[in-house]
Amino acid sequence: MKLELGNIFIRDIRFDSVSKVEKGILFVNADELRDHLLEDENIKSVSLEIARPGESIRILPVKDVIEPRVKVQGSGGIFPGILSKVSTVGSGRTHVLKGAAVVTTGKIVGFQEGIIDMSGPGADYTPFSKLNNLVVVCEPVDGLKQYAHEKAVRLAGLKAAAYLGKLAKDVEPDEVKVYETPSLKEGIEKYPDLPRVAYVQMLQTQGLLHDTYVYGLDMKHSLPTMLYPTELMDGAVVSGNCVSACDKNTTYHHLNNPVVHDLFAKHGTELNFVGVIITNENVYLADKERSSDWSAKLAEFFGVDGVIISQEGFGNPDTDLIMNCKKIEAKGIKTVIITDEYAGRDGASQSLADADASADAVVTAGNANMLVSLPPMEKVIGHPEVANVIAGGFEGSLQQDGTIVVELQAITGATNELGFNKLSAR
Amino acid sequence: MILVTNNPKVQGDPGISCDKEYIEGSLKDVLIAVRDRIHKGHKLLSHPLSGSLKPNETPYKSILISKEAGSMDWDSLQIIENSIKVCEKFVRYPKKCGYNNQERLLADFSEVDYQLIVAALKSAADKVGGEIL
Repeated sequence: MKLELGNIFIRDIRFDSVSKVEKGILFVNADELRDHLLEDENIKSVSLEIARPGESIRILPVKDVIEPRVKVQGSGGIFPGILSKVSTVGSGRTHVLKGAAVVTTGKIVGFQEGIIDMSGPGADYTPFSKLNNLVVVCEPVDGLKQYAHEKAVRLAGLKAAAYLGKLAKDVEPDEVKVYETPSLKEGIEKYPDLPRVAYVQMLQTQGLLHDTYVYGLDMKHSLPTMLYPTELMDGAVVSGNCVSACDKNTTYHHLNNPVVHDLFAKHGTELNFVGVIITNENVYLADKERSSDWSAKLAEFFGVDGVIISQEGFGNPDTDLIMNCKKIEAKGIKTVIITDEYAGRDGASQSLADADASADAVVTAGNANMLVSLPPMEKVIGHPEVANVIAGGFEGSLQQDGTIVVELQAITGATNELGFNKLSAR
Repeated sequence: MILVTNNPKVQGDPGISCDKEYIEGSLKDVLIAVRDRIHKGHKLLSHPLSGSLKPNETPYKSILISKEAGSMDWDSLQIIENSIKVCEKFVRYPKKCGYNNQERLLADFSEVDYQLIVAALKSAADKVGGEIL
């Protein structure tokens, strides 16, 4: 399967009377987009804001971040099974508004959401401070049930990203990158001497506010299966979850999975990147046993020499992570796991809720309990008072002058367990 | 199957018809009650750290264990003991959030715990022929 990604670099975003992309500037007709999003009867109000890198702006509580993309050639459309038909994606050509993103915010259930600072020390902890963001502030109709509320905001974000993505359809990209995965047979013939490596991606699937959708299917109801890596780049996997901000995989992360990108970079020279095994993180222990058996069986069946395993979330998924690691290692396949740590504010406590001797190659994405102080911003988009209640916040987090003192877990993407950030340890 | 819970919404739902042990206490009290059951030979069926809500945030927890008690299951014991350790790590930093709509927040926490255990019950029901719910 072969996909061309045409990147159109976006250096600014502005409101205008006509939505278009011109000379690296993304112009947005706010009224038109707002009307489009308000077609959902579960949404009471939508307001749109712009947040650029370096501006004194704080966004909270952030739900999802989504990169605008559009299919230009090849089967299917962006976010198949949700916004487009369920045709298989990942081949042909896709255009990307690189440097732009849609950020969804508004009142959110249980406040499992995060902070993006566009400048100051907080900006260093989130990759989304470097993007030209269109912030969609969505408020649900009164009395809407929690699951319907989550879904309405999730769909609003995807629709806004698809609306912007379509503007890129006829724009000449600034660069075109090609990603190709051969079939198993072709790969073995083409790279007989290279180590075969697969990527095991664990998806958050515990239940309400903890779900991930694959071609529109709630992944907790699926057995582990395989994807061509380029399917991820066309939105085959969509975040429906509201787990802690620091280590949730937003839809932006799924589209730009760094493990996939780095494995592609070494594909054909240092290794043969065979594909992606996706699995789930259910609450019921028998599901965990079944799914980890299955991911190990798929890894064995693909005849790989090694796998990289990434997790999503805290606590319950630690058990899936260690089960996957143990069972795949038991097949004689080497593993490297990517996780983050909840090691206490002093960093002295045990980091994960589970462990095993076979998990001897671990990449950490940082300690989510670390305390950080975020100085006040001139403008706050969303609801600043939730600083006291979001994961990582506590009574007194929001101070009189607007400073927020929180654990790192409150910052969107700070300790992302795909490694889509800069924190780690040696 | 026995559902150990301190969540009034779970306890009060007549649609969840399996045996329940209601704990008038904290999230940690639920973990301890489950550990005591595991000592007596019950098996853990759902993960005690379900959900990404931390033990110092949500007050509610619901955990499924087996009705039958045999010899002690070491895997269950390891998971519950690790979970208690994680809980103790977090409750060192109580949240005591000064949110002005505490009632709404508690309702959300209760709903999330409820939905997560319903997801686990559905998995369990699939296994035993749909009789649990």
